[in-house]
Amino acid sequence: MSENGPVGGSPPRVGGIGRVTGRQAYVADIRLEDALHVKLVAIDVARARIVGIDASAALTVPGVRLVITAADLPDPMPRFGPQWQDRPVLAVGETHYHGEPVAAVAADTVDAAEEAARLVGVEFEELPAVFTIAAALAPDAPLVQDPSLRPGDPLARTNVLREHHYGWGNVDAAGGDAEVVVEGTYAFPMVTQFAIEPHAFIAAPDGDGIAIWSSIQHPSWLQRVIAGLVKLPLAKVRVFAPDPGGGFGGKQHAKYEPLVAFMALRAGRPCRLVLTLEETFQAVRRGACEVHVRTGLRRDGTLVFRDVEANYLIGAYADIADRTVGKGSYTAGGPYNTPAVRILARSVLSHTVPSTAFRGFGNPQQIWAIESNMDEAARVLGIDPVQLRLRNIAARGDDFLPGDTRADGQWAETIERAAALIDWGSSVPAGRGRGIAAGLKSGPTTGLSYSTVRLLADGSVVVSAGTSDMGQGARTIFAQIAAQELGAALDWVTVVMGDTAVVPYDQQTSASRSSVLMGNAVLNACRDVQAKVRSMAARLESVDESDVVVDKGEVRIDGRVWPLRDVLVRGLGRLGGEIIGLGEMRKEAEPEHPLGGTAAFYEFNCTAVELEVDRETGDITIHRHVTVSDVGRALNPMQVRGQDEGAAVMGLGHTLMEHYILDETGRIRNLGAIDYRIPTSMDLPASIESAIVENGDGPGPYGAKGMSEGALLSVAPAVAAAVRDATGVSIRDLPLTPERVWRALREAEAEAASQ
Amino acid sequence: MTARTRRIELTVNGRSRFVEVAVHHTLLEAVRDDLGLTGTKECCLVGECGACTVLVDGQSVDSCLMLAVEADGASVTTVEGLADGDRLARLQLAFLDTGAAQCGFCIPGQLISAEALLATTPHPTRAEIEEGLAGNLCRCAGYEQIFEAVELAARAEAPA
Amino acid sequence: MRAFAYERPESLAEAVGLLTEHGPEARLLAGGTDLIIRLRDGTIRPRVVVDVKRIRELDDGIRQTGAGLTIGARATMTAIGADERIRRDFTALAEAAAVVGAVQIRNRATLAGNTCNASPAADTVPALLAFDAVVVAAGPAGERRIRVNDLLVRSGVTTLTQGELVTAIELPQPDVARSSVHLRRTRRRGHDLAAVTVACVVRADGSTRIAYGSLGPRPVLVGDDSGLLADPAVPDDAKAALLAELFTGASPSPRSMRASPDYRVAMLHVLGLRAVRAAMGRLTGPP
Repeated sequence: MSENGPVGGSPPRVGGIGRVTGRQAYVADIRLEDALHVKLVAIDVARARIVGIDASAALTVPGVRLVITAADLPDPMPRFGPQWQDRPVLAVGETHYHGEPVAAVAADTVDAAEEAARLVGVEFEELPAVFTIAAALAPDAPLVQDPSLRPGDPLARTNVLREHHYGWGNVDAAGGDAEVVVEGTYAFPMVTQFAIEPHAFIAAPDGDGIAIWSSIQHPSWLQRVIAGLVKLPLAKVRVFAPDPGGGFGGKQHAKYEPLVAFMALRAGRPCRLVLTLEETFQAVRRGACEVHVRTGLRRDGTLVFRDVEANYLIGAYADIADRTVGKGSYTAGGPYNTPAVRILARSVLSHTVPSTAFRGFGNPQQIWAIESNMDEAARVLGIDPVQLRLRNIAARGDDFLPGDTRADGQWAETIERAAALIDWGSSVPAGRGRGIAAGLKSGPTTGLSYSTVRLLADGSVVVSAGTSDMGQGARTIFAQIAAQELGAALDWVTVVMGDTAVVPYDQQTSASRSSVLMGNAVLNACRDVQAKVRSMAARLESVDESDVVVDKGEVRIDGRVWPLRDVLVRGLGRLGGEIIGLGEMRKEAEPEHPLGGTAAFYEFNCTAVELEVDRETGDITIHRHVTVSDVGRALNPMQVRGQDEGAAVMGLGHTLMEHYILDETGRIRNLGAIDYRIPTSMDLPASIESAIVENGDGPGPYGAKGMSEGALLSVAPAVAAAVRDATGVSIRDLPLTPERVWRALREAEAEAASQ
Repeated sequence: MTARTRRIELTVNGRSRFVEVAVHHTLLEAVRDDLGLTGTKECCLVGECGACTVLVDGQSVDSCLMLAVEADGASVTTVEGLADGDRLARLQLAFLDTGAAQCGFCIPGQLISAEALLATTPHPTRAEIEEGLAGNLCRCAGYEQIFEAVELAARAEAPA
Repeated sequence: MRAFAYERPESLAEAVGLLTEHGPEARLLAGGTDLIIRLRDGTIRPRVVVDVKRIRELDDGIRQTGAGLTIGARATMTAIGADERIRRDFTALAEAAAVVGAVQIRNRATLAGNTCNASPAADTVPALLAFDAVVVAAGPAGERRIRVNDLLVRSGVTTLTQGELVTAIELPQPDVARSSVHLRRTRRRGHDLAAVTVACVVRADGSTRIAYGSLGPRPVLVGDDSGLLADPAVPDDAKAALLAELFTGASPSPRSMRASPDYRVAMLHVLGLRAVRAAMGRLTGPP
C-alpha cells in the first residue's frame, strides 16, 4: 500500500459538500431560460393498437407549444438501442408495453403540459399481451416485435430474440460420473432500479448543434446515439451529464433523450422532461428469469457437471438486455472448477417494460438458481455448505472458465472469511438458521477510457474523466490517484466530469469498471505528466532524463530531492503555463470470444446470513448479514463499505419484498412507491458486517479490482439457504415475502401430513 | 378551470418571504420553483420516500403532501437553511465524515429528518434513529453510514 | 395536479356553509396525507378544497373530560401516539397512531381525517371501534354524536350528511380496568399499508373486544362477553375456535395486491390470538 498519499484512506467524498448543502445540481434542478416542460402521453393498457390521436383539445390549453406524435417524426420512424436499433422514438401503430408513450406535450408550464397531456385524445384497441415466459414461448403467441425488424434472423418469427449457448466438456457423457444429480427450477421476479432520482432529460438547440442534459451513465455513448438520430456530427452534440441521483444501470442507455431532442429542434426552445416515479418503473427494470438447473456431483461433493437452461423475460425492446442475458449466463457455472458445463439462455421478448442493465447485469438471476441448487446439493449429500463451496472453488490461476481469464482471486479466502464472521460451524441459536452463498460476475470485457490531467502552475491539478459518479465515488477515487501521484493535497485537485465538449471519451460507466479502466487512464495521464516533469527537470539540472526520478510529488536526482512544485515553478518560467498529461486505458475487443472479450477482472463475493422465521406469519428476521468482497485494493475503504452495504440491502430488496405485480392483462398494478416496497431503515438486518479481502491482485491502480455489484449477487440464495436451514423448506421463487414463505410452510406441512 | 393563486407569507430559512402561489401547488413545488430552493428533491410525490422532507414549524413533513398555501404564516426550513453561511451544521459535517452521502439525492431529506430527530431526542438510540429516518428512503447506502452520522452529530453536541 | 379553489374558513359556521353549498364538489383538507395523493392521481376532482386548520372552534389538543378523552379534529397521529393518557388508557390507539406512515406523515395526518377517509385499511379505526369511540359532528342541522361503528359504511363512505364535518373524537373512559393492544401485518417492517389490522381490548371483568381491519369494506367490531377469550385457564385451541366463529364475517377482497384473501384470513386468526394473549399479559403484568 502506498504510504504517503490519500489512496487507501477514506477522505471525505469529493462532491460531498454539494450533497449535504443541497447545492448539488441534478438534471431536474437545472433551470434553462425559456424551457418548455414536457409531459408524456401513454395508454393505460399492456398492449394496444393506436387507432388515432387527437391533439386538438390539448392544443387549446394556454401555454402549450407542441404536441408531438409519431406522425410528426421522420418516416420511417427513427429507432435506437445499444444492441438492436428497435426502439422507436415514439410508439408507431402499436404500443408494446404498459407505459410506452404515444405522444408528448411541450408547454410553458408544467401545469399546462399536464393539463394538455390529459386532453390528448387517444383512440386505441386493446390487444392481447404476453407477459410470462410460458405465454411468450407458446407456439401461437402473438409476436412482440415485427419480424421485419430482424431480417434474416431464423428466430424472427418467435419471441426469442436470441439464444445463447455456452459451456465446455460433455455434460451428457459426464452424467455417468455423477453419483447424485440435484435438479430444480428457480424464478427471479421483475424488479426495478428505483433510484431516488427519477430520470430527467433536457435538450436545447445550441447554435448549429444541440445540447443534452441527462442523468445518463454513458455520456459519450449518448452523444453518439443523438448525433446519429438528429444527423449531426459528434462535435455538434454536447452532452452534459450531471452526477445522477443513483443509476444502478437504469440510466446507462438512452430512453427519452431522443424524444426531447426532436422536440427541442422542432420547437426551437429547450425541452425538459422529468419522469414521475411511476414513469421510471415503466421505463427501466431487471430481466425476470426462470432457470432450470441440473447439477451432477460425486458423493464427496466434487462437481461433475452443471446443466443450465434459463429464460429471461426481457421486455418489448432489446435495450442492453440481451447482453445481460449473455454476460450473466456465461458464468452460470459459477466460480467453481467444473469438468462439464452446458448453458442455454434465451432472451425472450414480452409485452412488458424493456429491461436494461441493473446492478449484477444478468448474474443475480443465475446465481439465485445455481447457489440455491448448491445448497440443496449440500443437504442431499449431507455435506456442509461451506465445505461444498471450498471443495470446488477455483484457486487463483485456475482455468475455471475455459477460453476466458483465469481465476484472479483467492476466493477460498473470501468464503472462509465470511464463514468465520458469521461463526459458521458454531451452534445456531434456537429457532434460527444460517445460509451461505458465493457469487461471481465477470468485469468489463472491452473498455476504452481517456483522461487528461493538467498540472497547473501552482501544483494544483485538474483531472478530466468521463466516468459518471452516481454515488459510487468515482470522482473521489480519481482525485485520490492524482493527488497521490502528483504530490498534491487532495483539496488541490479538481475533477471535471460530465461534459462531452471538455472531457475526453469514456466508453461507459458500467460493470464496476471505472476504478480499473478510468482509474488506470488517470494513472497513465499522471505518468505522462511525470514524464514531462522528468524531462523538464533534466533540462533544468542538465542531466539525462534517465537520471531523474519523479515519484509521488518529489523529483529526485542523484540523492537530491525537490518538491515537484518547485521544479514546476522553475521550469515553467516567466510564461507560466501548465503540464498536460494524457492517459488512456484500453481493453481491446476479441471478436472470437463469445462475449467479445475476456474479463478484465472478476467480482467475487461471499454472503452469509443468520435469520429466524416466524412460522405462523412467514416473517423473516435477519439477525446477521455478513458480506465479504474480493476487491484487490480498496482505494477508498469508506466508499467501498458504503457500496457493499448498499448492494447488500438492495439485494435484500429483491430477496424479501420487491416485485412488479401485473394484472391478468399484463398491466402493472403497483406503480409508484406505495405498493412497490424497497427496504427502509427499519428493514435492515440487526447486524450487517461488510469486510474486504485485499490481495493487490487486480488490474487497476495499486492492485484494485472493480467492485459495487458483488455484494448484491448472492444475497438471495444465502437468505433462502438460511430459511431452508431454519424451517426445512426450500423456496425457489423470489421474493420471499411473508405471505410466500407462509404459503411454502403450509404446503410443506400439508405434504408431510399426507405422507 | 382557471388556476387560483394566493399570496402567502412565510419564513424560509430564517428569511421572511412573500410569494404568490397557485393554490393547487404543493409546498414542494413552491419551494423548488417559486423560491428557487432546489435542494429539496422530488421523487415519489406520494409521501413515501421523504426526498421532499422539510421542517414546517419545527416538524418534519413531506412537502409533496402539503399545499403551498397551507404554509402561509409558517416557518419552513430546507436543507439550504442548515448551514450558517459557509459554516456547516454538525449534522452536515457528520454526514461528510461517515461517508453517508453517496449519490446524495436522498440526503437533503435525511438531514432534515435527522435535524428534527435530534431536536426532540438529542441522544437517540439506534432504534430511535431507525424509526426517525424510516420515512427517508435511500437506495445507495445500507443506511449504516447515515445512522453513524446521526450518532456522531449527537455526540458532537454538548452533553445534556 | 388539476386546479381547484381553496377556502380557509375561520369559523365552523363558515365551514359548514361551504360544505353545504358545494356538496360533493367540496373536499375537506386536514393533514392532507390522503387527500393530496388522490388529488394528484385524479381519483377525486373537487371544485373546492376546504382547509379546516384555521377553524377557531377546532383544536389540535387532547382534553380530559369527566367522561373520557376528547381528541380535537386537528390532533395529529404524532400527538396521539405520544400522549401519556392515551398510551396508558387507550394503548391500542397510541400504538396504531405510531405506525401510520412514517414520522413525516404522522406529523400531519389527523385522527379525524383518517377516520372520515373511511379506508378499510385505516390503522387507527379498529382501535376506535374497540374503544367505542364517538365522533362529534357539526352540520347545518347542528351538532350530533355518532359512534364510529355507525359512522363507517364502506371504503370512502361514511354516514356524515352533506355539510357535516367532524369536530372531535371522544374516547369514553372505561368503567373497569382493561388493557389493549394493536397488531398488524405488513409486507415489511418499514411503514406500509396493513394487510390485517387488529385491535384488542381485554377487560378485568373478562369481556373482550376485537376489531379488525383490511378484511372487508370496513373495519369490523366483534366481542366475547362469555369470558372465554380472557380466561387464562382456557387453552389456545379453544380460544382459536371461538375467534374463528367471531371472524366468520371477514371478507377480504379477492382483488387486493397487498395480500391474498386466504393469507389475510389466516393472519387474522394468528393476530387475533396473539392480541388476546398480549392484552391479557398487559392486564396482569407490569404496567
